[in-house]
Amino acid sequence: MRIRKISISAFSFALFCLLFLPAMLKSEETREYISIRKQGAGRISIALDRTSARGGKESEWAKSLDGTIRSGLDFTGLFNLMQAPLNMRTAQGGALNFGALNSVGAEIYTGGTLTKQSGRANLDMEVYDALSGKQLMKRSYSGEEGQLRPMGLQFCADLVELLTGKKSLVFGSRIAFVSNRTGFKEVYMCDFDGQNIVQLTSSKSIALTPAFSPDGKYLAWTDYVSGRPDLYIRNLSDKSTVAVGRPGVSIAPAWRRNTGEVATTLSFEGDQEIYLIKPDGKLSRRVTYSRGIDVSPTFSPDGSQMAFVSARSGRPQIFIQDLQSGASRRLTFSGTYNTQPSWSPLGNKIAYSSLQKNGEINIFIINADGSGLLQLTAGSKFNEYPSWAPDGSMIVFSSNRQGRRKLFVMNADGTNQRPLTQVDGDQQQPSWSTVR
Amino acid sequence: MTNMKTFGRTLFIPAMLMLGACCCEKDVVVAPVPPPPPPAAPAPVVAPISDIYFDFDRSELTPSAQSQMKTNAAWLAANADRKAIVEGHCDERGTAEYNMALGERRAASAKDYLVRLGVEAARLQTVSFGSERPIDPGHNEDAWSKNRRVHFEIQ
Repeated sequence: MRIRKISISAFSFALFCLLFLPAMLKSEETREYISIRKQGAGRISIALDRTSARGGKESEWAKSLDGTIRSGLDFTGLFNLMQAPLNMRTAQGGALNFGALNSVGAEIYTGGTLTKQSGRANLDMEVYDALSGKQLMKRSYSGEEGQLRPMGLQFCADLVELLTGKKSLVFGSRIAFVSNRTGFKEVYMCDFDGQNIVQLTSSKSIALTPAFSPDGKYLAWTDYVSGRPDLYIRNLSDKSTVAVGRPGVSIAPAWRRNTGEVATTLSFEGDQEIYLIKPDGKLSRRVTYSRGIDVSPTFSPDGSQMAFVSARSGRPQIFIQDLQSGASRRLTFSGTYNTQPSWSPLGNKIAYSSLQKNGEINIFIINADGSGLLQLTAGSKFNEYPSWAPDGSMIVFSSNRQGRRKLFVMNADGTNQRPLTQVDGDQQQPSWSTVR
Repeated sequence: MTNMKTFGRTLFIPAMLMLGACCCEKDVVVAPVPPPPPPAAPAPVVAPISDIYFDFDRSELTPSAQSQMKTNAAWLAANADRKAIVEGHCDERGTAEYNMALGERRAASAKDYLVRLGVEAARLQTVSFGSERPIDPGHNEDAWSKNRRVHFEIQ
């Protein structure tokens, strides 16, 4: 059984290397490392050494990079970050003392050197398997002073990929959300870790349910600026905005991959039904035809299927509809109020929120075929609006477990739940995207 | 709030008329004697229009909502020059998106009922605020039951 596991992971990793990692890694050692790791899937213990630097400016940059790398790696929830032991080197500036690293339980050592070359920062990073003493990676990163954070995050992404065999799309991604900190609900965005918050709308009305297009060029959201909820689509490069103002409501836009279309609920024909809209605001076609509420669309990664909320069987439940055939099936049967589906970018799972009998709202995941139901949050008031990280490794959601509604993140299996942003007021309706 | 606004407007209109009358007198040399005003018809006594309330995740009118709607329809009949924005609202539970749809269905139910009671559809405009505008900010059934409502904003 063990052997089989190893061979599958080795095979999938080999396939992965073939597709994504041409000549980037020392694949032999890494594959061996990942094969061993897969057997016990705990956190990886990493000794993070301070980046060495000479000179005032260099030391300042090194300190900033160390902070970025530490918090970036910590954010993933994959690692147990440890201080490098004092006797880590055999002598001042000498060779690494792997015995000392092993004795404190470090599995991986990373460290680097920062130098300044014609005004630019140059970071040389090395990664070692602390058990075998083998070097797993050696890479250089360089950039202007203002690019220290992206440099540090690139190293984090490279290290995650090296140690897990999966490309990380978390670092560099962004999260759009709604905040009422000005007294009005407006759309904001921040980096994956809650840093660099930018206000995107200022309609001084009610702005809701932001969604970036998959290519990052457009933002769709619902806004009451006209007095009723209309859909708005903004071209983020030239800032031009189109309004889809139909009589009735426009609710919860979602982008359909590969077509550039936005799905949203409109009610100009009487019932609340889901329609596809082109980025120029023109109606593409109507998708649902059932009596009662149809709302909150989310698409499979290939755009061929749509999960959504429907009250066609009474209380709100999640359904899946094939866009080509129009055939639909009910996905959720557990619970009486299931809403807010979010389809994983990996394609296999759908996260959603469920209003439970005890009054709590909790986040669940379920396989697209209806199997594998798993509850991710419990015992803490309202946990809503799950949205997947672009690589499917994590989920952002809103929770009022500490009082007001704030954004939280967790690993895709529900572990490592923690707050994301420290902004005044309430934050909710996060939407995670690959936008850089 | 609405009553205050209405009251303000009621004062404002005669004030403007009087102002207009004063201005005109400067230009018109011989002002015709105005006819005596007709005796004011006794205003019909009608209870004011009120919000109606809904069960959780429901948009059908409850018996008590139907009873209130008869009063509301009578008020609208007695005030035929007034229009109403029919606002659908929900409590904070469930999700903002679903509630926006639910709020619209509540507003539509209320409008349909008024139309059946003889109010002209053109005087009624619906809008859903979902769970965005709670009247009671509390997080308990007492607050929720007040927030699951249709409010009539008279214009």
